[in-house]
Amino acid sequence: MGFGAEVAAVARLDLAEVLRSRWLVFCLVVHAVLAGLFVLVGLRESGVVGFTGMGRALMSWSHALLFLLPLLALSATGQVVNAARDDGSLELLLSNPVSRAAYFVGTSLVRMAALVAPLVVAMPAMALVGAGAFGQDVPWDFLLRGIAVSTALLLCFTSLGLLVSTLVRNQAKALMLTILLWAAGVALIDFGLIGVMLQWELPPSAVFALAVLNPVQCARLALLSAAQPELATFGPVGFFLANRVGADGLLSIGIGWPLLLGLTAWVWSLGAFRRRDLV
Amino acid sequence: MRVELRQLGKRFGRVVALQDVSLELPAGSRTALIGPNGSGKSTLVRALLGMLAATGELLFDGEPAGEDRRALARRIAYVPQIAPRLAAPVGDVVRAVAGLRGRGWQQIAEVAMQLDVDLAALGKRPFRALSGGQRQKVLASLALAAGAELLLLDEPTASMDPKSRAAFFRLVEALPTGTTVLLCSHRLDEIRRLVDRVVVLAEGRVAWQGLAGAYLDDHAEAIVEVDAEGEPAAAWLRARGFTQGATGWWSRSLPVHERARLLGEIGRNLNGQLRDVMARDVERLQPPSPGAKP
Repeated sequence: MGFGAEVAAVARLDLAEVLRSRWLVFCLVVHAVLAGLFVLVGLRESGVVGFTGMGRALMSWSHALLFLLPLLALSATGQVVNAARDDGSLELLLSNPVSRAAYFVGTSLVRMAALVAPLVVAMPAMALVGAGAFGQDVPWDFLLRGIAVSTALLLCFTSLGLLVSTLVRNQAKALMLTILLWAAGVALIDFGLIGVMLQWELPPSAVFALAVLNPVQCARLALLSAAQPELATFGPVGFFLANRVGADGLLSIGIGWPLLLGLTAWVWSLGAFRRRDLV
Repeated sequence: MRVELRQLGKRFGRVVALQDVSLELPAGSRTALIGPNGSGKSTLVRALLGMLAATGELLFDGEPAGEDRRALARRIAYVPQIAPRLAAPVGDVVRAVAGLRGRGWQQIAEVAMQLDVDLAALGKRPFRALSGGQRQKVLASLALAAGAELLLLDEPTASMDPKSRAAFFRLVEALPTGTTVLLCSHRLDEIRRLVDRVVVLAEGRVAWQGLAGAYLDDHAEAIVEVDAEGEPAAAWLRARGFTQGATGWWSRSLPVHERARLLGEIGRNLNGQLRDVMARDVERLQPPSPGAKP
């Protein structure tokens, strides 16, 4: 049996596991509820940062997702490997002719797909429902931008979650670490960092570096990149970057950096999973 | 498959799980691995499965295990002590393992049927919804149908009912003669039925190894209980060391290897006076001191 067939066998079993645990349904429901709320609320207002109507709703929704997606991804993956190690399923599956790499790839693909698929379904669905119900044009450019940025962010935090679950054997500690990661991602956007800078008298360059290294901040800037850069909306770091690299640059950073960070985390966790004791 | 362990060692931080374990499991041998909790049995099995990095040498048919264990894993099957609580349906679990091992559903279903498990009926139920015994039977079916050359069994019948255990024994006995079996177990009936050699681990070291018969003689004794009527029967039993209990049953203990001979004598000499007879083996908590009479 080749590597691809091994990955497929692991993926099928893990998909059955994910479907049984209702995770996919949970993600869809969360996205749908958020989408419904923003369509209803967001369409009433307009004229903010250059978006109107449907664009405003999508913008608000995307921003909410920036905070929600990392939490969803980390909670879905932060205990994948260590839980499988504890409950014996890792031992059972890897006592069969399947390589550790195939197991890790198969499981990663399923977890990533289970998190991305509801988003890719819910975002256009929300736009189409909104368009049909309120007679608005669907801002397809922004929609695609939102899907791309959100997917990059999801993949980044899914990989970070897998890394935590691979490196931290204790499930309670892993959960703690994922919460800290999420809190750091949400806190280290430039508005928060300005407070830190003022409190601790950090040099502005350190604040800029922290903000740019934060994938949540990068994703936020990428979503805003379609709008005119304003200090009040972008924050100081975003405003500086927008003027320095332009809208396309912001979008590239917002998609590229989370993907690069996620890929690094995933490769690290794959290496650790292949080298370390499994049980 | 011939398996050799040379000075195998494994530490978990400061805890020494295995130390200088050297063993040889000849091809086709059936060996029980015995020892108290924490003695290193499961660690040894997991090292054989390649799940732990251990020091020392591990040879399969004279060859080192190597980095890529997939080819080797095809030749090894494993029944874990505790079945995982997978949410996936039983059918998906069976199909996944069958696919990885290149076995057909029917091959596994036939073995499962002998263990009193109908895979077709259970196929859509979540694996974790099965009882402990059912889960263990499914896993035993997967391992026994794998056609492996080395079978690693970690307390495989701990949750099985007596009928299924008997069926499991028959299936293991019916394995091809070249199949090497390593059984972690504390059950005397499993040791008697399934293995010819015993290895005792204590604190990660080999404390004793030898033939299963010798182990049973040292660590187990048979208890024979007889319900018979009439004074001639009572006199015969008394003369052979039986004592009568409050319920009227006669009983005596004896070395396990003498049990069959005594049962034969009882059958021949108490013909017509015998109401019932029972025999069971028990583990001695303290082995007899040298020279003590059995």
